Amino acid sequence: MVVVMQERATETEIQAVIAQLIEMGYDVHRSSGATHTVIGAVGDGRGDPQLISVQAGVREVLRITEPYKLASRTFKPENTVIAVGDLRIGGDEVVVMAGPCSAESEEQVESTAAAVKRAGAKVLRGGAFKPRSSPYSFQGLGEAGLRMLRSAADRHDLKLVTEVMEIAQIELIEKYADIFQVGARNMQNYSLLRELGRARKPVLLKRGISATIEEWLLSAEYVLSGGNKDVMLCERGIRTFESYTRNTLDISAIPVVQKLSHLPVLVDPSHGTGRRDKVSPMARAAVAAGADGLLIEVHCDPDHAKSDGAQSMFPNQFDRLMAELRVIAPAIGRSICVEPVARRGWSR
Amino acid sequence: MSDLEDFRQRIDAIDEHLVRLLNARSACALEIGRIKEREGMAVYQPAREAEVLEKVRRSNTGPLDDAAVMRLFERIIDEARRLERIAGARRDAKGE
Repeated sequence: MVVVMQERATETEIQAVIAQLIEMGYDVHRSSGATHTVIGAVGDGRGDPQLISVQAGVREVLRITEPYKLASRTFKPENTVIAVGDLRIGGDEVVVMAGPCSAESEEQVESTAAAVKRAGAKVLRGGAFKPRSSPYSFQGLGEAGLRMLRSAADRHDLKLVTEVMEIAQIELIEKYADIFQVGARNMQNYSLLRELGRARKPVLLKRGISATIEEWLLSAEYVLSGGNKDVMLCERGIRTFESYTRNTLDISAIPVVQKLSHLPVLVDPSHGTGRRDKVSPMARAAVAAGADGLLIEVHCDPDHAKSDGAQSMFPNQFDRLMAELRVIAPAIGRSICVEPVARRGWSR
Repeated sequence: MSDLEDFRQRIDAIDEHLVRLLNARSACALEIGRIKEREGMAVYQPAREAEVLEKVRRSNTGPLDDAAVMRLFERIIDEARRLERIAGARRDAKGE
């Protein structure tokens, strides 16, 4: 770190800071300028930079290394590619995960799975346990919902991603799902993250509603440090002063995360905007910005969906979006849905 | 061009000299580190560092200005402190 002393810092104050940095195990480079003294602390020191920043005479403390390690590109320069069966997430292909917000009935799950498969999705999304803003809203079908999702995914050769809300659900969900989703509200549920670090399946970690990118990567670090190296990140919009959309989708998070981290980064334009008509433009922007995948809510009858109907796309809108993405992805050297299902004459 | 070559050769010779002097200084610092440890003194002795800087400032005759000399010696002192720390850590590891 670099410690910048105040203009009027006394020699005693400067010396106290140097003494503390040395005690923390740093090698100190002192540089006395005409007005400010700057102290460089290098090496394997340990300790909270905050402790230095509250010392008398200190103007500011600048950190020069990231607080996360396993999630950092410095630690692992090459991209992480996560294998889910024969599917690769974080490689050349932009992987689209689509499906209903929640599993509601056999027919609803089946028809939506068939529709998203036809359009070129590789992963079925859908919740069986729903963390809703209101305790009176539909809370999900539980294990019955998981069974519906799994069998629909299998029938249509799709992988399954579903949300895990608490530690007690991990064992059950692991039996049905291919990917654990950690929702925005649980991004800083560190005990859940630690437990998922011991799980054997990949984790899709959504960005918290007010989380900075650094906090998000630190959450990924919890899973990684537990031994589970298969973590993908998912931007889903952050809370800003703008109220027209449900959240403000932070497209800039994609290149930022890709620079800081080797982990795949996906985008959820459905929660990111909360409005059906805004999903396609944001999905296109996300792919153009380099997202490794998308997580999109599609419902065969969104007007009667039990949750998130306003942000769920109709299957025909999703079809059109996929066709557009097939034009955009190659422009930046990516592929999407390598074998369009319709062209293979796929029917079941 | 021969003037340029001349001065460059002189700089090379001075640099060699400087490195020898810096190492001689460092050898003293290492001895001091050993003594500090034996006496239970901290590696960082701010009063002594200030005294060293004041002495070099007083002996400065230019063309380097005082601030430049101070900055150069701050770096020399930083490295001496680091050397003392590493030597101390090695002794600790060996259990001396």
